[in-house]
Amino acid sequence: MKRQAAIPLSLALFVSTAISFAIHAQERPVGTPPAGMTLLPAGRYTPLFRAENDPKDIPVQSFWLDVLPVTNGEFLEFVRTHSKWRRSQVKQLFAEVDYLKRWAGDLEPGTNAPFNAPVTHVSWFAAKAYCAWQGKRLPTTAEWEYAAAASPTRADGANDPEFVRQVQNWYATPTPEILPPVGRGRTNVFGVHDLHGLVWEWVADFNTAMVTGDARGDTGLDRQLFCGSGSEGAKDRSNFPAFMRYGFRSSLKASYTVHNLGFRGAQDVEPNKP
Amino acid sequence: MNAHPHRLSCCRLGAGALACLAIALFQAGCLTTTVSKTPGCCAHGVPSDGPVSDRSLFQLESSWTNDAGNTLKLGALGGRPLVVTMFFAKCEYACPVLVHDMKKVQAALPENVRSRVGFVLVTFDTERDTPAALAEYRKIHELPANWSLLRGAPDDVLELAALLGVKFRKDARGQFAHSNILTVLNAGGEVAHQQIGLNQAPDETVKQLVQLLRP
Repeated sequence: MKRQAAIPLSLALFVSTAISFAIHAQERPVGTPPAGMTLLPAGRYTPLFRAENDPKDIPVQSFWLDVLPVTNGEFLEFVRTHSKWRRSQVKQLFAEVDYLKRWAGDLEPGTNAPFNAPVTHVSWFAAKAYCAWQGKRLPTTAEWEYAAAASPTRADGANDPEFVRQVQNWYATPTPEILPPVGRGRTNVFGVHDLHGLVWEWVADFNTAMVTGDARGDTGLDRQLFCGSGSEGAKDRSNFPAFMRYGFRSSLKASYTVHNLGFRGAQDVEPNKP
Repeated sequence: MNAHPHRLSCCRLGAGALACLAIALFQAGCLTTTVSKTPGCCAHGVPSDGPVSDRSLFQLESSWTNDAGNTLKLGALGGRPLVVTMFFAKCEYACPVLVHDMKKVQAALPENVRSRVGFVLVTFDTERDTPAALAEYRKIHELPANWSLLRGAPDDVLELAALLGVKFRKDARGQFAHSNILTVLNAGGEVAHQQIGLNQAPDETVKQLVQLLRP
């Protein structure tokens, strides 16, 4: 049973040149983007792993994505109006005890969680609830990876050595105790900030990250992958960060809260806008 | 297809995958992330009446449709221990075994308590597993009245799977790859025990159920 050990970032994108990007850009729906969001043109995503009969890549529909990760200040507005998501009131089923751990109090992020820094120590449920409140949703893995594959200058960032180097450097840098503000670095070519370099982010379908059981012959794969040597078997070592994200996601449970795991919202492009 | 029982779950996935990830991170040098968590998956104790606890799955607001076409919340199935499994009717390999494992649990229960345990099958296949398809499944597999077959909205299925520690993914043929886990909920809807993998001996699950049924 042969599986394609993927070629993720390098071939993750259908939109592979500036020219084709320009063509896609013309297809942007008319109308103003929702506040703080940017339009991602339709493209393709090549999963890191796939089942035997799965296609090599899957289409990603055009969608809106938050330019920035959600900040402590923004999350404060949410818990102000949604008391059940306050630290003292959240149910254990939906967030473990470390929920909003860095905050000074229920309604006070405090000095360890600056207003303009990304909110972290939030569970998948909390992230989902915040997005729903905003009329948004969490991006899917495909959407997130597709967006994150873009460098500041091109949609296929894997072909941008400087970008690849920077992403890898971030993965090799410890997370600071107090997270820096969002929106500091350059945006990627789609206008999105901080997909790399700040925090990891929840995706809607994080619990699909581990292919298991019957559709995949070899249940030892995950073990080999994660207990073995990371990206050792991959054709393209530059996609090591994608392996790390894959491993990280598959280690998560929905109630987990982690210091360097935040989120951002996404939204469907309304069908009445072509 | 090989017949490896897949062993993923709340507890095991937690420990295993985290350990593995930790090793991967270690090998990668100094990486940004360490996740060290104790998955609090297995509660004990039997809350029955009164408000549901902080850890209860009966807090879920999601609505489900059973094979008779009735809409219900998960809490409506409570008040007795439940054995919950996620499956899909068109599954050619693992699910029949899972259902068989559930039947083994039922058969191994002492006769006087057998009917006091509920069995719940929740489908991944929100498209094809209509109430009629589920009713057909009940007929084919001769599932008795204390078994519930449920379908829900895709988002609610994803959420329930997340809560049960079940990973799943649809492939191109419309089959679902998924973890094989039987979850025992106590009468109050808290996860009390999980049986992981296929073709497992029912002993431990039965022991847990009997304990939960003790007055």
